[in-house]
Amino acid sequence: MTNELVDFTLVSVALLGIGIYGLAVKRNFIRMLFAVEIIINAANLNIVAFGRYLSHAAGESLALFSIAIAAAEVGVGLSLIIVAYRMYQNVDIADFRSLKG
Amino acid sequence: MLEITSTPLVLIAILGTVGVALPIISIARKEKGSNSFYAVIAFAALIVSMGYVGYQFVSDHVVPSALFSEDVLVDDAFGGFFALALLIVAVFTTVGSFNYMRRHNSPAVYYSLILLSTIGMVLVAYSTDLVMLFVAWELMSIPTYVLVGFMKRNPSSNEAALKYFLFGALSSAVIVYGISLSYGLTGSTNIGEVIRGYAALDPSLYPLALLSVGMFIAGFGFKMGLVPFHQWLPDTYEGAPPTITALLAAATKKAGFAATIRIVVMGTVALNVDWTLALGILAVMTMTVGNVAAIMQKNISRMLAYSSIAHAGYILIGLAVAPHSSLGLQGSLYQILNHAVMKGAAFIAIAGIVTTLAVTHIDKLKGLGRRMPITSLGIVISLFALAGVPPLAGFWSKVLLFGSALDASATLGWASWLAIAGVLNSALSLAYYGWITRKMYFEGEKEKRVKEPKSVIGVMVFSMIFLVGFGVYPEPILQFVEFATPVLSLGLMP
Repeated sequence: MTNELVDFTLVSVALLGIGIYGLAVKRNFIRMLFAVEIIINAANLNIVAFGRYLSHAAGESLALFSIAIAAAEVGVGLSLIIVAYRMYQNVDIADFRSLKG
Repeated sequence: MLEITSTPLVLIAILGTVGVALPIISIARKEKGSNSFYAVIAFAALIVSMGYVGYQFVSDHVVPSALFSEDVLVDDAFGGFFALALLIVAVFTTVGSFNYMRRHNSPAVYYSLILLSTIGMVLVAYSTDLVMLFVAWELMSIPTYVLVGFMKRNPSSNEAALKYFLFGALSSAVIVYGISLSYGLTGSTNIGEVIRGYAALDPSLYPLALLSVGMFIAGFGFKMGLVPFHQWLPDTYEGAPPTITALLAAATKKAGFAATIRIVVMGTVALNVDWTLALGILAVMTMTVGNVAAIMQKNISRMLAYSSIAHAGYILIGLAVAPHSSLGLQGSLYQILNHAVMKGAAFIAIAGIVTTLAVTHIDKLKGLGRRMPITSLGIVISLFALAGVPPLAGFWSKVLLFGSALDASATLGWASWLAIAGVLNSALSLAYYGWITRKMYFEGEKEKRVKEPKSVIGVMVFSMIFLVGFGVYPEPILQFVEFATPVLSLGLMP
């Protein structure tokens, strides 16, 4: 059981690393959104694994909350991206440079 | 169990009902304009909520600040204090929008989103469970992403919204990761249980516990604008509609501090690790970077954005020295209330200037003192209160904050340096506040007075009375702050 927990946590940490790498390297807005989603799902995996290890139902319910909220967040994010795409005809973060100081 | 008449539940009922009803009313009425109709409804809902919070205080239904509870929400003085400060800002935003939203579409959705976001912020301050806190955090954040990008055809509003969204989503991802670690380590999501679990943790698991507290600091730090996490903030504050900037700078930031006090400050006490140094360094970095960058700005919104980064640094002083001085959290809470009023008023004034004169560049503000006398007076009083000039309210909160750092230096040698850094930074900030004042009053041709929006005048008058009145006579607020400040000790555990 404990070994299983370690496996899950290792996968979760790997996903966290992939997410941070994606945020640092990619310049396409949708890819960066994906990277954030990967981090959220790494956390969800963690929560479910811990919940199973501790045999609690609280973990699963927390993971469900977080999945639902992440879905709402992505909905808002994609709609913002669509509006920006209509204006700039692309979603490259390097093109969003009208605000600087 | 919470009673059905407890403040958070009643606030959800009032603001939630009105917030959901506004778009439905707008569909039923089949018309687009009539901004003031929806604004009045939203304003009434917010005033009723404020009245209820006040009534709960006056009628002694509020328990002293608890920080922990077995429930997911607690109706304590700490939450009530934040609820009042946040509702004041929401009222400012709504009143400022009377005028600002007149020329824009879909006002019903706009006010509905403000109300929903306000519920989220208030619930963050009341929540004592990590799941509740996370849900409230998202309820606060998601409407503000839409509100920042509300001006669909304006490129800078769009860009601001995208940047804000990306960092906001990252911050909530980091918070969920922190929650997952603390849940795994302690087997509970109740904040009290988590803290107690941390206090009794096996030392070999300390690195993981520190990682989870660090993730909470990073996640909340994005919203608070602490320095390594602040890059999005000036862009977003500049590009967003100025009324929404008031909401972001004065309210969502404060909700971040509420969450930090509930989790991080207690977590660091429980882990018995000296985080004072880390938080102190963050505080000094935050205020220095904010003030130095603010001096170089040409746009008044951007300058105030950097100044609000600097203020996050001042507030953080109180959190850093909290384990060593009982005055620390009091100073932070007082500064939070003052900053909410000062920054809220300043950004609403900018919204008024943008709608009447359509300028934000500081050079174009020449002669504003003659063109819009009441708005300019409101800005100047807010700015001097931000700098901490006596006898304005901002002075007393800074005295309390820097005093707490000196107080802590009895047990913590270097804490007095925090006070010195704070005083130097305040002096530095006076330079650019004074520069704006000079532009507005002592430069420019004699120009005719223009008509100032009534709603903005209302906000200005309220904030001037608040800042000058409580500056001259700070006694009631000091008592209120003392009542609302939680006492830090592990003996308070459930």
